[in-house]
Amino acid sequence: MPRITVDGNPIEVPEGRTLLQALDDVGLLMNGVTIPHYCWHPKLSIDGSCRLCQVEIEGQPKLQIACNTPVAEGMVVHTDSERVKAAREGVMELLLVNHPLDCPICDQAGECKLQDYAYEFGIVQSRTREPRRALKKNVDLGPTIVFDQERCILCRRCVRFCEEVSKTGELKVLGRGDRSVIETLPGVPLDNDYSMNVADICPVGALTTKDFRFKIRVWFLEDVPGVCTGCANGCNVDLGVANNRVYRYVPRRNDAVNQTWICDAGRMSYKRIGAPDRLQVPLVRGELGVPERVTTERAVEAAAARLRRLVEGKGAGVVAGIASGHATNEDLFVLRRLLAALGSETAGVATALGPEDALLVKAEKAANGAGARALGFGDAAAVAERIRGGGVEGLIVLGHDLLDPRYQIAPEDLARLDTLIAIDTHHSELERVAHVLLPARVAAEKWGTLTNGAGRVQRVRPAVEPRFEVHAEGALLARLGAALGLPGFDGRFDAREVSKALSSSVPAFAGIDLDSVGDDGRPLAAGA
Amino acid sequence: MLKVPYVTSYLTEHFADDAFATLAGYEKRGGYESARKALKEMAPADVIELVKSAGLQGRGGAGFSTGLKWSFMPAKSDVPKYLVCNADESEPGSFKDRILLERGPHQLLEGILIAAWATGAEKTFVYVRGEYAEPARRLERAIEEARAEGYLGSRVMGTRFAHDVVVQRGAGAYICGEETGLLESLEGRKGQPRKKPPFPAQYGAFGRPTTVNNVETFSHVPHIVREGAAWFRGFGTEKSPGTTIFGVSGHVVRPGLYELPLGTRLDEIVFQHAGGVPGGRKVKGVIPGGMSMPILPAGQLDVRMANEFLRERKTMLGTGGIMVMDDSVCMVRVAEVITYFFRDESCGQCTQCREGTGWLHKIVSRIERGAGEKEDLDVLLDVAGKMEGQTICAFADAAAWPVQGLLRHFRSDFEQHVAERRCPFGESFEL
Repeated sequence: MPRITVDGNPIEVPEGRTLLQALDDVGLLMNGVTIPHYCWHPKLSIDGSCRLCQVEIEGQPKLQIACNTPVAEGMVVHTDSERVKAAREGVMELLLVNHPLDCPICDQAGECKLQDYAYEFGIVQSRTREPRRALKKNVDLGPTIVFDQERCILCRRCVRFCEEVSKTGELKVLGRGDRSVIETLPGVPLDNDYSMNVADICPVGALTTKDFRFKIRVWFLEDVPGVCTGCANGCNVDLGVANNRVYRYVPRRNDAVNQTWICDAGRMSYKRIGAPDRLQVPLVRGELGVPERVTTERAVEAAAARLRRLVEGKGAGVVAGIASGHATNEDLFVLRRLLAALGSETAGVATALGPEDALLVKAEKAANGAGARALGFGDAAAVAERIRGGGVEGLIVLGHDLLDPRYQIAPEDLARLDTLIAIDTHHSELERVAHVLLPARVAAEKWGTLTNGAGRVQRVRPAVEPRFEVHAEGALLARLGAALGLPGFDGRFDAREVSKALSSSVPAFAGIDLDSVGDDGRPLAAGA
Repeated sequence: MLKVPYVTSYLTEHFADDAFATLAGYEKRGGYESARKALKEMAPADVIELVKSAGLQGRGGAGFSTGLKWSFMPAKSDVPKYLVCNADESEPGSFKDRILLERGPHQLLEGILIAAWATGAEKTFVYVRGEYAEPARRLERAIEEARAEGYLGSRVMGTRFAHDVVVQRGAGAYICGEETGLLESLEGRKGQPRKKPPFPAQYGAFGRPTTVNNVETFSHVPHIVREGAAWFRGFGTEKSPGTTIFGVSGHVVRPGLYELPLGTRLDEIVFQHAGGVPGGRKVKGVIPGGMSMPILPAGQLDVRMANEFLRERKTMLGTGGIMVMDDSVCMVRVAEVITYFFRDESCGQCTQCREGTGWLHKIVSRIERGAGEKEDLDVLLDVAGKMEGQTICAFADAAAWPVQGLLRHFRSDFEQHVAERRCPFGESFEL
């Protein structure tokens, strides 16, 4: 490991890396060592063209770009010398020569690197009197992205993203010199499963998403770290929250999970949080089969009453549980305890399947299928078979993925059940047949942990407070357990406490709880 | 058409003989004996050492030691090594490589063969400026002849050394004369220079170790091998040995090519060889080495044409393209033409070059149209300063230096435009 000196501080860095890469590897870049940069991106190839990351290296007559200069033992780097400052001023001034400076109407304002660096490293006075480039505005690049050619600083991150990450190559630099522009080719719009990432990596307001632009000024948004629940990959995101509403997901870097990317479908899944089809009111099916809107308390009581009658009459062997890949480990741990306390031995996890790809998207369309399996929930297919065969008469089901075609369960199969208690977040066919239906919180509304397909336990936290009375699955199950008078259930649910209990009783989760996973997550214990 | 420089030396002395461009004619003048000697009697390292000790410098503009450049090629390589002959000759004011291709193609091929032997290259790509259709044809004809004779191919001159030469025509971009811009273009991509590292000697054409040399540079090599380093050093100065072909253009009586030793005085070239300025006018300024080199005013022409002397006058030899301007010339207009050219030709990768070339041109153009302000002159110098030495390739320097030179020596022209709010030399059309 070469030792280098940056601004007088000795730093040990990995070998065979360039200066920016090495500083990024050790977590110091823009976090202790300030080297502004535009074209360089940790997950894209080195371009070396914006020239903003120039630093002074002792023994080298010219300034060197930190993005492309390999580290070497004993290298002495100055990031803040007068020459470096002058060079940065030069780059900033030149980048602004043709920039429209339309920040007041630009949606990037507030998270714009041109704005930020101009303030921090630029000069105060503009000296250009010449007309600026007049280029295309409001260009529709494809279904997701709008492009403002005038604001573009030609860092070419988007071009490299489409070549190297999405491997679709829709974006090109056409023209030369100060006539260079980013373009799509005729008949080939920017349209791929990861297209919206180009808006994240665009340092300026040139590329914005149709979904988010002009919805809200970003300085009103609070970034709440969370996890995308669209599939088993569990891409890390920041939830952009204001007015108790989630306005967007942007990928949060996690090199062990999603690098710096997220798929478009996952990004748009934030809309599920505040969707109009959220379940809001508990329902209990009355004696005539008509669902009635009731309080949570009455719904839990009704569920307990039906279950108690069934178990007293036919024993716990006819009761089964279906875990949801959308519930947290903590929720599922309570379900496991509840089923155990009832004496039921039939349980499984149902998850829907969908398309997958080689980059991020996983076939299992649930964020916590692996967590359910780690907690002992097997595949729901066996349970489904017992339901179809009539061996199950009471069912506690979380979510409605049991209705995924692969389980071959129709609502009519469920209608034959003596007792169906469903806890779910969104409307589904389950509503037609459930005897008790309890609305549940989504991941963005509660504390908990999710285990992604690779066995990494990651934390979610409340970003918004639901506008209606709704509880976490774990909380509802805890109340059900108490209403049934089961041992160990007092009706309380605290995700943090449950997480600790889970950690100490399930070997795979040894040492892993809500607090210890942090915002970057931790892998399940190997071999457990 | 010009067949022969007005003044010749070893490179061009037989150019009057049309047969010199044929294999038979070239061999009659002792052609390919140097290559035979190198391949059969000299180890590659000895050839490199010879060229080093001769002190041959690249004739493409940068003046880097040719022998040293060859020594950067890895001696052992698991992949093929390549040579590239830069025949893009895109620097305005330069037209020497053209005659070397047309009148001495076998001299070039022999130089390439020797360099290939020295560096272990199995193939040479000659990248010829798109407009040079005839030179490319003549070179291809020479390559055919050399192949037929066994001078190129799998067993060069009966040895176990294999080498072939391929001609690739460019499509007319200045930046494709920059060695890595050339490589990109050669590989079929948009001509824009590559960041370094890696350098071409590690990762060049098609990712293989590659050395890029200019046409004239290769053409000197057979003479060095035949006559020796000491002989070569008999021409030119101690630090800049050999001759070079100066191309003189502009306001002179005899525009054309002049093969003269490096270190020949600029005023001698302009006034004695090229016959001075016609029409009884006076010299105003001379660009000594192609358009990207800073201009020298009439009073500073007593300089020897070699980098060690030209540097003292804040300019360089470049490609040896000498452009003479008389006292009817508006230096703001000159600046406008030059900045327009570089704005047009910038590849657009690096911020300073992409934005700076355009900004320089816009300011200069405004001054020429009579709308300049006093502050503009300092902004010009400042912008040029910010472009210099900070980009992937030397293009930004090439765009900044002429502006600096013109303001250094002809600031009064600019000031007069600003004061009179017009061009005192008469109106010019906007580019």
